[in-house]
Amino acid sequence: MIDTPVLAQAMPSFRKPMPTMLVALAILGGWLALALAAPVIAPYDPDAIDIMNMLSPPSALHWFGTDQVGRDVFSRVLFASRVDLLLCVAGVLPPLLIGTTIGLLSGYFGGVVDNVFMRIYDLTVAFPFFVLVLAIVGVLGPGLLNFILALTLVGWVSYARLVRAQVLTIRESEYIQAAKCLGYRPVAILGHHVLPNAIGPVIAYAVSDAVLVMLAGASFGFLGMGAQPPLAEWGVMIADGQAFVQQAWWICLFPGLAAISLGLGFALLGDGLGQIQRRGVTA
Amino acid sequence: MTGLENGKPPLLDVRDLSVTFGAFAAVKNVSFTLQPGEILGIVGESGSGKSVTCRAVMRLLAAGASAQGSVALDGRDLLALGEDELCAIRGRDIGMIFQNPASHLDPLRRIGQQVAAPMIRHLGISKREGWQRAVRLLDDVGIREPEKRARSYPHEFSGGMKQRAMIAYAIGCQPKLLIADEPTTALDVTVQARILQLLKELNRKTGLAMILISHDLGVVADICSRVVVMRGGEVVEQGPIDEVINRPSHPYTKLLIDSQPGRRTYGTTATAGGSAPLLDIARLSVTFGAGRSLLGGIGGDHSFRALDGIDLTINAGETVGIVGESGSGKSTLARSIVRLNTPSGGTIRVDGQDVGTLAGDALTAFRRRVQMVFQNPYDSLNPRLTIAEAVAEPIWRHGLADRQTARKQADALLETVELPRSLRDRKPRQLSGGQCQRVGLARALALKPQLLIADEITSALDVTTQAQILELLVRLQRERALTLLYISHDLSVVSSLCQRVYVFKAGRIVEQGVASEVLTTPQNPYTQALVASLARLPTERTAPHSQSVSHHAT
Repeated sequence: MIDTPVLAQAMPSFRKPMPTMLVALAILGGWLALALAAPVIAPYDPDAIDIMNMLSPPSALHWFGTDQVGRDVFSRVLFASRVDLLLCVAGVLPPLLIGTTIGLLSGYFGGVVDNVFMRIYDLTVAFPFFVLVLAIVGVLGPGLLNFILALTLVGWVSYARLVRAQVLTIRESEYIQAAKCLGYRPVAILGHHVLPNAIGPVIAYAVSDAVLVMLAGASFGFLGMGAQPPLAEWGVMIADGQAFVQQAWWICLFPGLAAISLGLGFALLGDGLGQIQRRGVTA
Repeated sequence: MTGLENGKPPLLDVRDLSVTFGAFAAVKNVSFTLQPGEILGIVGESGSGKSVTCRAVMRLLAAGASAQGSVALDGRDLLALGEDELCAIRGRDIGMIFQNPASHLDPLRRIGQQVAAPMIRHLGISKREGWQRAVRLLDDVGIREPEKRARSYPHEFSGGMKQRAMIAYAIGCQPKLLIADEPTTALDVTVQARILQLLKELNRKTGLAMILISHDLGVVADICSRVVVMRGGEVVEQGPIDEVINRPSHPYTKLLIDSQPGRRTYGTTATAGGSAPLLDIARLSVTFGAGRSLLGGIGGDHSFRALDGIDLTINAGETVGIVGESGSGKSTLARSIVRLNTPSGGTIRVDGQDVGTLAGDALTAFRRRVQMVFQNPYDSLNPRLTIAEAVAEPIWRHGLADRQTARKQADALLETVELPRSLRDRKPRQLSGGQCQRVGLARALALKPQLLIADEITSALDVTTQAQILELLVRLQRERALTLLYISHDLSVVSSLCQRVYVFKAGRIVEQGVASEVLTTPQNPYTQALVASLARLPTERTAPHSQSVSHHAT
């Protein structure tokens, strides 16, 4: 028997404000605004070398100080946010699109297609994520584009697996049976009935994946295998500054804080989306 | 009445019991008494507060709930007791059995251990003694080879056996009161009849007082001597069962009685002379899961034959019913007709065309002619579409109209199934089960089918809602000259609705014929058992059912 009062009681909770979501949106919105407005806000050209002002500590002139060749750290952190935000999107979207498509087909149709993709999945997860990405970048050569390519090659499997699991339960539900029975074409069923019901957890996962991608981007920049100097990128900046960390802590600290705050923003957003997802299920 | 006349103090005295969840009052000022040795029925539909009432008696309410009033068991107010005292009473003085026995048995412990556990806890007997008593109890509740079965795990038991084990578990400490919350709802009707018989016998032999909670008035009438009718958290009527059923004073009770399946026939008539069969099924077999194990074939043939040589015909304009218990293959048949699974043998013909060979345009045309309504009201609608969208979708997808026109036609269809216009932009989650089922009907009718298959469409609904849906179905059948294949586990519903009935058992047809004849003079032993197990309302009753037994048999 289905209890309607219980449902009715659960509904109002949907409109309760969620502090995590607010904080997450504030952080991410803030970074997006800073990245867009970087040319306007930045007091200096991020790549301008100033030999007279090398390694000067934070001051009224240089809020975050300058690095070993006198570049303004504040301006560089601002400009680097554009690279890192773009990296998050470029590192998440291709695996999401490819993985979701494959997961949908593989889960809905099953059979040989499913078997082939699942074996590829098994092969991929047999290696640690970073090791595999490193190996692929090592073969293709360093650079942002190759880094994103490597992320896509490794990252799609998680999305495919997640979507497939969703589809396996959804395809047994009666509304999918009804859709088949009503003579809808597979494309219509997949696009209009399966996908919208399967995508929720994928979005939540994509947001938490963005954290991973950002950290990977920074780490690979640090290792010299991602963004290449002199392009301002937080990982590259930290790598550059580490030789001087004894005399000039500010070169590493500020890009580090920036990376942490953006990562936190994505993580909170993922958490919030997950909560909404769960409420949606129970409501 | 048996219990009341001798003026004994009641075993259980519930006075002005109210239960609130925050601002929501689930139970309002409920009062009733239970005499020793009596069986009291509490009847109501979902949300009527019947389960909450009994959970309040057991003090098993969820954390957010608060209960006021008084619940006295043998003069002790249960609502005032501390946790320690409660633990001594639960399982000792009051036993409880639940709707779903599977979820109340620990899958990792043997049945015998579980039955013995409360006795070891409350009576302080040894493990060995507990085991022996558990075996005896299992024997008492009618489990064959109890010594062997006590060593089984719950998954080795069928649903009916699990419920018997739960009863053994609940009566082990010889409680004064047994609360049974929908004990037979999850079971097949023939199993239900046997469990009710067992409860009756327990009451007669040991004088165990019981409260039986059920949505099914038929079940309550079968074994209870008094009944409490609840609605929206309030008691609307209570009294001796015969009086309540034969002379109901409250309009809701009257409605409940009139809604009982089998109380009325819907008078569907076969339109048109049934000359050429619309649906013709010959020697249909469906086999599932040919056991593809990793090592291939070593485990032997694990395939399961869901349907085995079914022959069935439906003429245009007929209303035909299929009855069977779970696992009888009736849903498999429906799914095979609409090509949701592939038969392993035999043919299904609609108007002479072999359904299995259809493809392309012919298949699309077939989809328009044959439609199906599904069992689960919520699961059969995409949760992300509004109901108007869901009903309009088949119209524009089949190119019968553009999207705009389709929306207008959908509105008309929703009107046909008696859904108010204001609901059209709601999502399924915001509707009741009955309303969702109406949407499912409207969607199936959108393509103007000739043959409509209804697979257990009312089994998740309350009886009054069920009666309304059936009435709607009959009206639609008449107005649209539909041919109807109605599938249900409930023989009384099918026989009141259909002209002809097929009885399924384990993938085969065991009996077929005119509905009224199958119901009154069943030929096959299985059908006879099915008919006998119908918990129907009596018209007039003479002998009282439960008797007061003054002492506890030990």
